[in-house]
Amino acid sequence: MLSVAGLTTRYGAISALRDADLHVGSGEVVGLIGPNGAGKTTLLNTVAGLLTPSAGSVSFDGEDVTGTSPERLLRSGLALVPEHRRIFVDLSVEENLRIGGVTVSPRVRGDLLDEMAERFPVLGEKWATAAGFLSGGEAQQLAIARALMSKPRLVMMDEPSLGLAPVLVDVVFELIESLRAQGRTMLIVEQNATRMLEVADRAYVLRSGEVVATGTGEELRAQDDLFETFVSGGGGGRSDDQGAEDDR
Amino acid sequence: MTELIQNLIDGLGRGSIYALLALGVAVIFGVMHLLNFAHGEMITVGGYTVYWMMQRDMSWWLAVPAIIIVSVLTSLAIERIAFSRVRGGSDFTLLLTSFGVHFVVFSIFLLYVSASVKTFDRPTWVANTYSVGSLNIEVFDTVVIVVTVLTLIATSLLLQRTMFGLALRAAAEDFEAARLMGVRSDSVIRGAFALSGLLAGIAGVFWLMRAGSTVPSAGIDPMLKGVLAALIGGLGSLRGAVIGGFALGLAEVLLRSRLPDSIANLTEGFVFLLIALLFIFRPQGLVTVAHAERV
Amino acid sequence: MFPRPSRDIGFPLIGSTVLFVVFVSGALIYQALLGGAAERLVTVMLIDAIVVLGIQIYIGNTGVLSFGHIGFGAIAGYVFAVFAIAPSEKMRRVPDAPFGLAEVDVPTSVALLLAVVLTVVIAFIVGIGLARSGAESGAVAATVITLALLFVTHEVATNWPELTGGERAGLFFKIGSALDSRLPIYIALFGALVLARLFAQSRSGRLAVAAREDNLAARAMGVNPLVQQMVALLMSVAVVSVGASLKVFEDGSLLPGNFFFNYALLTLVMLIVGGRNSVTGALVGVGVMTAGRELARRLGQDGFEIFGIPLDDAPLDWVFRENLQTVFLGLSMLGFMLWRPAGLLDDWELDRWIADRFRRGPDEQPDELGSVDPDPSVRLEAQGIDVTFGGFRALDGAGVTANAGEVVGLIGPNGAGKTTLVNVITGVVSADAGTVTLGGRDLTGAAPYDIARAGLVRTFQNLRLFGALTVRENVEVSAFVAASHRADRPLADVDELISAAGIWEFRDRRARELDYGNSRRLELARAAAMAPWFLLLDEPTSGMSGAESLTMVEQVRQMAGLIGAGVVVIDHDLNFITGICDRIYCLDQGRVIAEGTPDEVQADPLVQAAYLGTASPE
Repeated sequence: MLSVAGLTTRYGAISALRDADLHVGSGEVVGLIGPNGAGKTTLLNTVAGLLTPSAGSVSFDGEDVTGTSPERLLRSGLALVPEHRRIFVDLSVEENLRIGGVTVSPRVRGDLLDEMAERFPVLGEKWATAAGFLSGGEAQQLAIARALMSKPRLVMMDEPSLGLAPVLVDVVFELIESLRAQGRTMLIVEQNATRMLEVADRAYVLRSGEVVATGTGEELRAQDDLFETFVSGGGGGRSDDQGAEDDR
Repeated sequence: MTELIQNLIDGLGRGSIYALLALGVAVIFGVMHLLNFAHGEMITVGGYTVYWMMQRDMSWWLAVPAIIIVSVLTSLAIERIAFSRVRGGSDFTLLLTSFGVHFVVFSIFLLYVSASVKTFDRPTWVANTYSVGSLNIEVFDTVVIVVTVLTLIATSLLLQRTMFGLALRAAAEDFEAARLMGVRSDSVIRGAFALSGLLAGIAGVFWLMRAGSTVPSAGIDPMLKGVLAALIGGLGSLRGAVIGGFALGLAEVLLRSRLPDSIANLTEGFVFLLIALLFIFRPQGLVTVAHAERV
Repeated sequence: MFPRPSRDIGFPLIGSTVLFVVFVSGALIYQALLGGAAERLVTVMLIDAIVVLGIQIYIGNTGVLSFGHIGFGAIAGYVFAVFAIAPSEKMRRVPDAPFGLAEVDVPTSVALLLAVVLTVVIAFIVGIGLARSGAESGAVAATVITLALLFVTHEVATNWPELTGGERAGLFFKIGSALDSRLPIYIALFGALVLARLFAQSRSGRLAVAAREDNLAARAMGVNPLVQQMVALLMSVAVVSVGASLKVFEDGSLLPGNFFFNYALLTLVMLIVGGRNSVTGALVGVGVMTAGRELARRLGQDGFEIFGIPLDDAPLDWVFRENLQTVFLGLSMLGFMLWRPAGLLDDWELDRWIADRFRRGPDEQPDELGSVDPDPSVRLEAQGIDVTFGGFRALDGAGVTANAGEVVGLIGPNGAGKTTLVNVITGVVSADAGTVTLGGRDLTGAAPYDIARAGLVRTFQNLRLFGALTVRENVEVSAFVAASHRADRPLADVDELISAAGIWEFRDRRARELDYGNSRRLELARAAAMAPWFLLLDEPTSGMSGAESLTMVEQVRQMAGLIGAGVVVIDHDLNFITGICDRIYCLDQGRVIAEGTPDEVQADPLVQAAYLGTASPE
């Protein structure tokens, strides 16, 4: 469904992503793991149209979508749950979901809203609450549900377990599991490599902006130098730490 | 006591227009982080439209919708011609661009119409008053307040109940995330300018009815009021802008009535002094924008 | 050597002289060629130049857009007029002037002095308001306040006829100009030029420019932007006051409308067109816009002549009409903002160009790199730090300790709170609980610039250089601050630091032209120039390849040794960390989960789990 070839993205002088190849087939759950700053977020953001690559191509369902705007991509069926979730904290849970469904017809949107309330009972309870008051785990569920509102064919997630306590990480991965059971196609960037490899069909390991390994979940889990890979990476791109120093 | 109530009504009447202007300014600021110093130009254009129509013996019934339509169109045109090119620019660039727009519109009218004041007849009912007990209330103030309240309610409904309003609010909070949801940046910005133009148009109708004239520099005063009111209320808050507008109107009227006659002329100066003090002691404005914290 | 008198004083003086001569000569030539009304035009232009230079001192050095300077000009103009006009004239126009001013009779020079002093005092008060609101709501609020000031002065002037003669009548010296020679104008113009350049090269000017480039980074280097902006404001208002007084004197009269919106926009356009960050640009802008306006004015008249040769422009009459000047100004402002916001000259300065041409051979690259011993008594201790962002607990009882001369590492997965901890220590974020002490001194909750001055300096994860300044100038910012606030420490020479950082060959290039690796090195050198007790480095190798990271290890070690500083470094690259750190803390979920030597921490299963994640509970 999604195919990425030779993708290279720069931040000024740095090549945050170099010559990356990747593909996701229909119904697959593909993981993107690697140390911080390896270029995982850069890859997702480039595919999603937030960044323009300097080389390489992205194709979705056989169509070249390199450099297409996020708005257009969403309408083609490609949704992104961004890093740090980026839910609209001043809007209510319902409004967040609603805006997630801005590209579908009102009738479909209404049906989807009911569906989400059912599937995510914790969101249903806080329907009218401002999203800023949700806990981390609830916010993550909202972010995922919001992405689902656009009836995407491929859902990309950027570090869904970021900043969550271990118990909540369980919840998130259970959610991913259930989505996978429904046949959802997903491309997920994760820091929590162990859990990701349990759930993924296949995964790619990124380091310093390059794909250094790929295989099925089991194959990669079996490698014992995985920790080495993670901590010696350094990183070819920027790492975004929570609470970055934007002042005030 | 009577005088106080009288002043309150006067102040609310003035404040209504300021509130509409401030809201128009705040809507654009929320979405683009741009303080639109050209906001007053809608009123200048509206004024010349009225003048043109009055020259052809058209009535105010036609003029009112004309002002509003012209205002919306002008707003959209300005966005297309000038602001679309500086999206994402620095605050400095944005501010000066909007001033540049003001300057150009002003000079075009100066060049192609005239520097002199053009007057037109006010609607006949503007000067009427009616009595309630011992109060003498201007019909005009009443109409302004009622229309403003209706407009604010309608705008609130627009923002809270429609998809457009939702998209606007989402984009104001996080433009990029809104795009990820499929909200088209062009649409939302144009919509904001259209809404801003509409609000300016309604404010302009009343401003012009009261002024009875127009001049190329007519836009400066309303713009300043709108911008100051938005700042008083707290930049970034739509509610704040409205409150700021009413506060400004009330302050003007109350000060004028309280000041000794000899310096009543300097009311504007004292209002500014109050504003300055406000900024020194409460720089974030009247309304603290209580954001639900980001998780 | 630092500071460098030739570059900071000598060349600016030379350059100002050259500029003055060129500008005035050009104007005089034009005047000679066209005669008649051209004389007045030139006089007006020279005075406008003084005012625009004054505005440039503020806008150029602080980056804050101000409309208020013409409002200050109004105040100065009125003070000057009220004191300088002869009592006989005053009795005719404003017999009821308050405070008996109608009878006051002082020499013109005293009137000028009064104008400048009074206006500067008012500017000081306004400046405090600007500082307070600017800090909260950003530069936009400051701009609106200056705009309001412009309107207030106009309002007061219009509505106080006892003092000002009101909107229609105004104040008069006599019919025609009260100024008999241009000498005062020439003196004032030259003085304004010199002052503008010297200020820009001075300590205060440079610190203001640093804050303009990156406010947060400047504060992290010990700069208090509000102080520098106030200095710039006062200097600029003084110059504008002189210009405004001369303008009133030249006009021979003063009406409220003379110092209002139109004049504010005119002077602003002149500055923008020339290049707001350049003194030379200010003059160029004044010249270009005056010429353009004049051309537009002539085109707008019927019967257009160039140097006495008539041209027929009838077919274009629909464009070339009266008031074309105003359209020209408006289009210039809009045009430049849309297509060239930096103006014609950006921040190019004549004297800097001259200085570069006359450089006497290459500077000597220092090779003798001394080193300083750290003071063993100074210890950094952060303990029990709690930070909650809304519902999210970013730090939970976290802390770090570093001894003098030690290199301590902070590792942990994304979102663990490492940067937040550094933000708390350096005052960028306030903690809900916990303390930060340096050498026994409590720094909890202090402002970033106070913390920097106390000896804790940081670098940023996302590079924050002063882009428009050169490599040397970047480092000099810290050196300036250190010279004032850390003089009790041995201060490293700027050139030595640049050389030690490996960026000597780029020393005169602008920081924004540097590639990534060199930018990082510059950040390091700039931080080191503060002679801190501790350097806090936030992911210094982020974005570097393996080889570059190793070079960085050397650089950090060398730099720290050079200045006798301890280091606290956040990084993910364990090769880098183990290569340089004496001790490591590992954070996860806002808590310290491991502490010890690099080997100990790397082998800790908790650390491994933090990085790789734990398996799902079966």
